[in-house]
Amino acid sequence: MALFRRFIVRGLARDPGRALVTVAGLTLGVAVVVAIRLANTASVRGFETALDVVAGKTSLEIVGAGVGVPERQLEEMGWLREYGRVSPLIDQTVSLADPDGVRHPLRVLGVDLLRDRPFREYQLLRFAREEREPRPQELLSVLLDPTSVVLTERFARRRGIDVETPVTLVAGDTRHRMVVQGLLLDEGPAQVVDGQLALLDIATAQWLFDRLGWVDRVEIQLFDAAAIDASEQAIAARLPPGLRVQRPAQRGREVEKMLAAFHFNLNALSYIALIVGLFLVYNTVAVAVIARRTEIGTLRALGATRRLVLGFFLGEAAVLAAVGAALGAPAGWLLARGAVRLTSSTVNTLYVTSQATVPALGAADVLLAGAVAIPLALLAAVIPAAEASRITPVDAVRAAAGAAGRRPFPWRPALLGAALFAAAGWLATLDAIGGLPVFGLCAALAVLFGAAACVPALLELLRRQGRSVLARWLRVEGLLAHANLSAAASRLAVSVAALVVSLAMLAAVAIMVGSFRDTVAYWVGRTLQADLFVTAAGRGPVGAGSLAGISEATERWLAAHPAVVAVDGFRTVDLPYGPDGDLILLGAGRFEVMAERGGLLFKDPADGRPALRAAVGADAVVVSESFALKHGAAAGDRIELDTPRGPRPFQVAAVYYDYSSDRGLVVMDGATFARHYRAQRPSGLTLYLDPDADPDAVREDLLAAGGTDQQLFINTNAALRAVVLRIFDATFAITYALEAIAIAVAIMGVAATLLTLALERRRELAMLRLVGAGRRQIRRMVVIEAALIGIVSQGAGLAVGVALSLILIYVINVQSFGWTIQFHLPLGFLAQSTLLIAVATALAGLYPARVAARMVAGADR
Amino acid sequence: MSDLHTVYLGRMPVLRAEGLHKRYGEGDSAVDAVRGVGLELAGGEFVAVVGPSGCGKSTLLHLCGGMDRPTAGSVAVDGVDLAGLDDEALTALRRERVGFVFQFFNLLPTLTLAENVALPLLLAGVPSPPALDRAREWAGRVGLGHRLAHYPARVSGGELQRAALARALVHEPALVIADEPTGNLDSENGQRVLELLRSLNRETGVAVLLATHDPVLAAAADRRIRMRDGGEVREPAAGRLPTVALET
Repeated sequence: MALFRRFIVRGLARDPGRALVTVAGLTLGVAVVVAIRLANTASVRGFETALDVVAGKTSLEIVGAGVGVPERQLEEMGWLREYGRVSPLIDQTVSLADPDGVRHPLRVLGVDLLRDRPFREYQLLRFAREEREPRPQELLSVLLDPTSVVLTERFARRRGIDVETPVTLVAGDTRHRMVVQGLLLDEGPAQVVDGQLALLDIATAQWLFDRLGWVDRVEIQLFDAAAIDASEQAIAARLPPGLRVQRPAQRGREVEKMLAAFHFNLNALSYIALIVGLFLVYNTVAVAVIARRTEIGTLRALGATRRLVLGFFLGEAAVLAAVGAALGAPAGWLLARGAVRLTSSTVNTLYVTSQATVPALGAADVLLAGAVAIPLALLAAVIPAAEASRITPVDAVRAAAGAAGRRPFPWRPALLGAALFAAAGWLATLDAIGGLPVFGLCAALAVLFGAAACVPALLELLRRQGRSVLARWLRVEGLLAHANLSAAASRLAVSVAALVVSLAMLAAVAIMVGSFRDTVAYWVGRTLQADLFVTAAGRGPVGAGSLAGISEATERWLAAHPAVVAVDGFRTVDLPYGPDGDLILLGAGRFEVMAERGGLLFKDPADGRPALRAAVGADAVVVSESFALKHGAAAGDRIELDTPRGPRPFQVAAVYYDYSSDRGLVVMDGATFARHYRAQRPSGLTLYLDPDADPDAVREDLLAAGGTDQQLFINTNAALRAVVLRIFDATFAITYALEAIAIAVAIMGVAATLLTLALERRRELAMLRLVGAGRRQIRRMVVIEAALIGIVSQGAGLAVGVALSLILIYVINVQSFGWTIQFHLPLGFLAQSTLLIAVATALAGLYPARVAARMVAGADR
Repeated sequence: MSDLHTVYLGRMPVLRAEGLHKRYGEGDSAVDAVRGVGLELAGGEFVAVVGPSGCGKSTLLHLCGGMDRPTAGSVAVDGVDLAGLDDEALTALRRERVGFVFQFFNLLPTLTLAENVALPLLLAGVPSPPALDRAREWAGRVGLGHRLAHYPARVSGGELQRAALARALVHEPALVIADEPTGNLDSENGQRVLELLRSLNRETGVAVLLATHDPVLAAAADRRIRMRDGGEVREPAAGRLPTVALET
C-alpha cells in the first residue's frame, strides 16, 4: 500500500540505526534457529545418507540381539531365498595407519562379493593395474586372498595410495598388513563418509574383527519389492528367537530417536536469540509509536481508521521480520557449518559416527524462517501497535503526556510476572511428553516472560531508591544519568527486559553446565578408580563401537606386569529395548573386580557392592540412572532383554550414577554376558596397580615393552579424567556459542535504545550544554547510563538465572537425559560475566555517547 | 464544488453544536474545558473563536471537528449527528467532510509536500496518481508548485502552513477547522496564510471555524465567538453582521 510505504517504510529509513539493529538482531535470531535446524538435520541425515547408500537396494535386513547373527542360524534359514536375494554383511570400523603414524578411520563392509553385487552399485575404477571392469571370477579370486582390500578412489587419491600398494589396517589392538587390490569409482557406497570406506571379503572381515561364525546383519533384496509389508510379516513369523527383521531405515529412525532429546534441547536453546530479537521488534515498534505520536494523531484526525494505524505498525514488524528472515536464512546456513563442527563432535562422541554435511539451503528453509519470524514478530508488535491505534486525533495537537512527576507503580505487569512465576512452578511438576521436556521448557519460558514482566516494577523501585546513591558516587553525571533513565523508564523497560532475559539464560546455562561439570568431575573421580586405562587403537572415532577388542594375548601380557594386581575388562553393544525398541547400551564387565576395586557410584542401594558380588555370573544386571528413569526400572525389578535365544528376564541388582550416555546402560557380569550372548573381547581394560607403583612409570614401561607395533592407547587415571572433561566441554561449546549470540543481540538492543534516547533528547542535551555541561560530561553521562542498564540487567539476570537453572537441572535435564546433577554455583564464572556485561554495555554506550556529544555541538532547532 | 454551493446557497447549517460540555479528569482534579457552548455555521461562513489561552477554544474546535467527543451536548456536521457514529464512521466523516489546519502544521515528515497534501485523498482510497494530481493542483493554488517534491523538514513554516491549507481543502470538505493557524508564524507569513484562507473560503464556499487570539485574524472573520473559562461571553457582535444569529 502506497501510504504504508510512505509512512512506515520511510519512517524506518529516517531512523536507520534502530531499524538496522532490529533487523540485525532478527537476522541473527533467525540464523541461529535455521542453523541449529540444519545442523540437527545434517547429523541425522549424514547417518541416514550413509545408511541409504550402503543399504543400496536392500529392502529388508535381519539383525540379532546385541551381537549380530550367528552363521549357524543362517544356514538353517535357506527359506529366506524364497523371498529374495540374501547377502550377509560385516559392517565395522578400522583405522588405516599412515607410514607417519596418522590414523584414518575407515568404514569396512565385509561382503560376499558374488552375492552382494546386485545389492550395491560398486564400480571398480582400477583393478589390479588394469583399467577395466573385472569379471566376477577375477574379483573373487583376488578378494578371496585374505590380504586383499579395496579402497575408494577418492580416499586413495588423497592419501597417495595406488593399486597394489601395501597398507596397514588396525582392527582392535591388532595390525594387519594388507594390499590394495582395487579402487572403487566415486559413486554408490564409495561416496559415503567422504570416501572413507573399505571393502573386504566377508571371511577376511570376520577374521579381522574376531567375528568368526557371526555376521553383523543379513540383507535381503526382495524379488517383489512391492510386497514388502507382506514379506516382512512372513519373514518375522518364521525367524528363530533372537532375530528380528526390519527395514534399513529403521536404524536411521533409531538414531533419530536417540538424538531426539539432544536435538530438542538444542532447538529450544536456538530460539532464545530469536526471542531476544523479538524484544527488539517490540522495542522498535514501541519507540516508533511513542516518537510518532503526533503524526499518528494527525493521521487519525485526517481520517485514518484505528485499524489502518494498527495495520501500519503490525506491518512495520512484519517488514522487519521478513527482512530478518530473508537475511537470516542464508546466514543460518553459514552458521550451520560452524554448528555442525561443534555438534558433530558431540554426536560422534556420545551417539553415532556420521559424516554430517550441511544440506543446501532450500526454499523450505527460507519459508520456514519467515513462518517462524513473522508471526512471532507480529505477536511482539501487538501491544505497541494496539497502543498506536488508541491514539486519538486530539493527540495530534496535545503535548506528550507529562513524563515527569509521580508515576503510578507498575503493578499490573508485576502481577502478571508473579502469575507467570506461579505457572512456572506448576508446569515444572508435570511429566515429560514422549521423553521430551515440553512442560519443563514451558516452565522455563514462563520464568523468562515473568521476569520480563517484572522489569518495569524493578526499574521503578530503583528509580525511587537510586537517586541519592548515584548522585553521591558519580556526582552530577550520575544525577543526570538517573534523571534521564527515570524519564525514559517506560521505554527502557523493554530493552532491559531483553537483556535480563538473555543474561538470565546465560547465568542459568552457566550454572547448569557448571553444576553438571562439577557432578561429572566428582563422578569421574569416584568411578575411575583404576590406575591405567587401556583401549585398542583401532577403534576408530571414539565411541564408534567397533567390535574388535583387545586380544587375549594382549591382556595376558598386560596382566603379567609385576605392578598390575587386577584387570577389569569392559565392552558395550547396542541393544534395542522395550516396546519402542529404544537403543540402549548393554555392557559387560567383571563384577568381582568392580565390587572389590571399582568405584561405581550407586544410587540405590547406596552401597551396591554386595549386590554386585551377588550378581557375579547370575542373571542380574546393574543399570544406570538414566535407564532407570527412562524405563521405570528400580532395584529389585525384573527387566526383559533380547538375547540370541529370545527375550530373557534379568534382575535389576542396583542402580548407579552414570553420565557417559543418556541412552541408558545395562551392565551384566562378563560370564553372564558370555552365557547369553557370546564371549566378546573387551574394548577396554582397566588395570589396578600395586599401591606403591607409579602409574606413569608403569605406563612408560608397558608402552616401551610393546614396541612400535603397539596398537594400544594407555591412559593414566589423571589423563583420562582430563579427556572426559575435555569431551564434556566440547559438548557444551555450542551452548555457549548460542548464548553469546543471544547476548550480542540484547546488547545491540541496549545500544539502539540509548541511541534513540539520545536522538529524542537533542533539545535537552543542547540545554545542558548551554548551562555549561562539557562534551566529556555528556559522554560520561551516556556511558554511565549504559553501564547502569548493564549492571541492573545482570543483577536481575543472575537472580532469574538461578531460578531458571533449577528448572534446567531438576526438570529439563532429568526428563531429557535422566541425569541427577548436584546444584552448584560457579561463582567465579558468574563474577567474571558480571564484569564483562558491565563493560560490554558501557562500550555499547560509546557510540550513542558520541552521537549525543556531537549533536550538542550542532545545537539544532 | 457544486455540492458545496448547494449547501452554501441552501443556508443549511454545515455545523450545529448545542450545549457542548467537555470535562477532563475525574473527581477533584476534573477540569471543565468547555461548558455549555452552542454555535451554528452556515455554508461559506468564516467564524473566529477568540479568547485567552486555556479558555477552551481548541477543545471546542476538536469537538466540532469530530476529533473528540463531548461529555454532554451534541454536534452535527452536514446534518449528521456525530453522537450516533461509531469510531469508524466518525473517522470517515472527518476524512470526507472536514479539513484541519493545526498551529504546528502537523505535516508528516516522511511524506513530501505533495503527498502530504494528497493524504486525505489517499486515506479515502483514491489511487495515488489521481490523488497526487489533485494535490499538485491545490499546491499550485496555495503557491507551492515549486516545492512539491520537498520533505517538510526542508521548507519554511509559512510554506508548511500553506501546504496544510491545501491538505485541508484537497478533498473538498464542507468545514475547515483551523486551530491557531498563524500562531506559529511571523506576522508576514501569518498575513499570507490568513489571506489565502479567506480567499479559499470565498472561492470554494467552505465554512471555516477558526480559533485565534490574533486580533487581525479575528477582525477578518464574518463573526466572532468570545470564550472565557470554557464558556461563551456574550457581547454585541462587532465588525460584519453575522449571517446567522447565534442561538445560545
